[in-house]
Amino acid sequence: MAGDSARCWADRTLSGFAAVLRKDLRLELRSGESTLALLALSMLVLVVLVFALDAAHVRSVEVAAGALWVAMVFAGMLGANRALLAERDNGAIRGLLLSPLDPGTLYAAKLAAALIFMLIAEVGAVILMVIFFNLDFDASTARLAPILVLGAIGFSALATLLSAITGRTRSGDMLLPILAVPIFVPALIAGVKASAAALGGAPLASMGDWLRIMIAFDVLFVVAGYLLFEQVVGEN
Amino acid sequence: MNHSAIRNGLGYTTLALMIIALFMVFDYVPPEAEQGIAQLIFYFHVPLAWVAFASFGLVAIAGIFYLWLGDQLWDDLGYAAAETGMVFCTLMIVAGSIWAKPIWGTWWTWDSRLTTTFILWLMYGGYLMLRASADDTPQVARFAAVVGLVAALDVPIVIASVRLWRTIHPAVLVTRQGGHGLEDPRMVATLLVCLAAFTAFWAWLLMLRFTQLRARSRMGALAVRIAFARAAAADLK
Amino acid sequence: MSAPVVETHRLAKTYGLAPVLREVELRLLAGAGAFIVGGNGAGKSTLLRILAGLEAPSDGRALVFGQDTRRLGARYRRRIGVMAHQSFLYPNLTARENLEFYAELYSVADPRASAIQWLDRVGLAGVADTRVRAFSRGMEQRLSAARAMLAEPGLLLLDEPFASLDHDGAEIIEALIRGAVERGASVIATAHAVPEIAGVEFAAYEISRGRIAQQAHQEEVRRGGRLRTLLGR
Repeated sequence: MAGDSARCWADRTLSGFAAVLRKDLRLELRSGESTLALLALSMLVLVVLVFALDAAHVRSVEVAAGALWVAMVFAGMLGANRALLAERDNGAIRGLLLSPLDPGTLYAAKLAAALIFMLIAEVGAVILMVIFFNLDFDASTARLAPILVLGAIGFSALATLLSAITGRTRSGDMLLPILAVPIFVPALIAGVKASAAALGGAPLASMGDWLRIMIAFDVLFVVAGYLLFEQVVGEN
Repeated sequence: MNHSAIRNGLGYTTLALMIIALFMVFDYVPPEAEQGIAQLIFYFHVPLAWVAFASFGLVAIAGIFYLWLGDQLWDDLGYAAAETGMVFCTLMIVAGSIWAKPIWGTWWTWDSRLTTTFILWLMYGGYLMLRASADDTPQVARFAAVVGLVAALDVPIVIASVRLWRTIHPAVLVTRQGGHGLEDPRMVATLLVCLAAFTAFWAWLLMLRFTQLRARSRMGALAVRIAFARAAAADLK
Repeated sequence: MSAPVVETHRLAKTYGLAPVLREVELRLLAGAGAFIVGGNGAGKSTLLRILAGLEAPSDGRALVFGQDTRRLGARYRRRIGVMAHQSFLYPNLTARENLEFYAELYSVADPRASAIQWLDRVGLAGVADTRVRAFSRGMEQRLSAARAMLAEPGLLLLDEPFASLDHDGAEIIEALIRGAVERGASVIATAHAVPEIAGVEFAAYEISRGRIAQQAHQEEVRRGGRLRTLLGR
């Protein structure tokens, strides 16, 4: 009997997660605003940095890596805000809170959606980075993938939790970066350092310390978000 | 618990300890061999950093208790700890900058301790801004508790990453860490007294602010009771 | 005697310094229905939100299915259906997609079939694949009713279910409520005035300035004349 109810819970959780994620992706496909805006923002940020850092004729992996992460953080901020925006129409968030759906599962679904958008923006940003900052598409670019995925998970986890809070306050749009950036610093440092090393040809094994920091960050915020989400979405 | 007795006690303790500390720093302790008199800032930097971090820890712990027990007392404690901690954190940042200029010629140096404290300062700032912009929502206490908690949990990771960052690119201007290297027992004694003095100072300010916030919360609760009583009285008409 | 489906003990709620609910005592048994009538700002919606578990009371307790509403587990939330001023519908999804989504959340056996069935029941089968943003207020209200009831909940909390509905729409909602009561569900609905629902017996409560001021059986009210309101008696 206990096994049955455990399986039941797992089934329910999985199907609830899938239902919310499917709905968000469907909504996004229909309007397409978010993804387009994210890609556009990433590109514009990179353009600004090319001029600001006078990198047009320089070939520096440190500068490129830094620019990439700046673009990612900006795009991630925008994406996270929109993750919960869909629930504001007609009070849909209340519909979700009233349903049997676990708040933690809702968090996981929102995190997954934000993550997908951020990864799409990252792919675009990497392509543009290679082009704008005079790099090559080769093995070193591919080695960026695990680093960027870890970074996206951490940022999406953090931003999904925080945007549930800032979305309900007065200066919410400005407050999200103010809260998120200092907290994201360790993953940012690790991500930029590891990215620069990867672009410079170093194998992933040599960046063990940085990757460990990013993994610790990701685990902390996914777990914290899962446990704390219900504290910040409800009305009581 | 007699709040004002504790407050006053802490106040006098602080005064006494501070006087002793100042004497010890400027008259008693021998100057350090390499850096000379500028090194004395160390006796203020370390206690300030300790208090700034400890206060943030208190914000997080108070947040946990608030989320768990729901009692407004914990929220008031967390808010008081945040404001008090912010004061000491700012002092530490400003002291670092004022000291760096004449010694190193720059307004700031990115050594690991200063960098980490600066990140902490940004977290404090974010927390207080959240409080300010959400003070009209009933969930502000809950939001603040969550933010304080996740930020505090992040601090160890910040420390680790900044330290790693600094060992790979050591700052051109390195601040004397001075953890071990305190050969003279008089240095140890001075440091301990300064730690005690600043902790007392912090505790005193915390108590002041905490009792203020408690009074405000209690008045709020009373006002609600009065509103209910008024409505009940209106029924009888 | 079976345990009440809904119970409140000295329920109170303040928003800031305004007491919205004061010492509300309510009991509802399984299969019973209640209409809570009152003017704007009397506290009807707040009461419903507390019973649904969306908000916590400032004082006192509310119990639904024997559970404190502040700690309603998933298993109990599945048995509660709520209709509010807001429809909880996604404007960019079609009517069918909205219902299928909620059917999945509520673990309904065959979400697609259930969605079609309920669209039929509320007379929206023709616009099943139209986005909700194109709906009129009345159509949205009907879809919201379908959303609330498709999991066949044991307790229905309906906040002004007849608002913005024309005669046909009101008949549809009436039929749904009747169907729900017939299969043993309990219903609490709010309104400005007690409506007439053929074949269903409702207790009627008046709420005014946060208190339940008066309680009369619907029959007595009907005797006083059709659609007579309790207010101003």
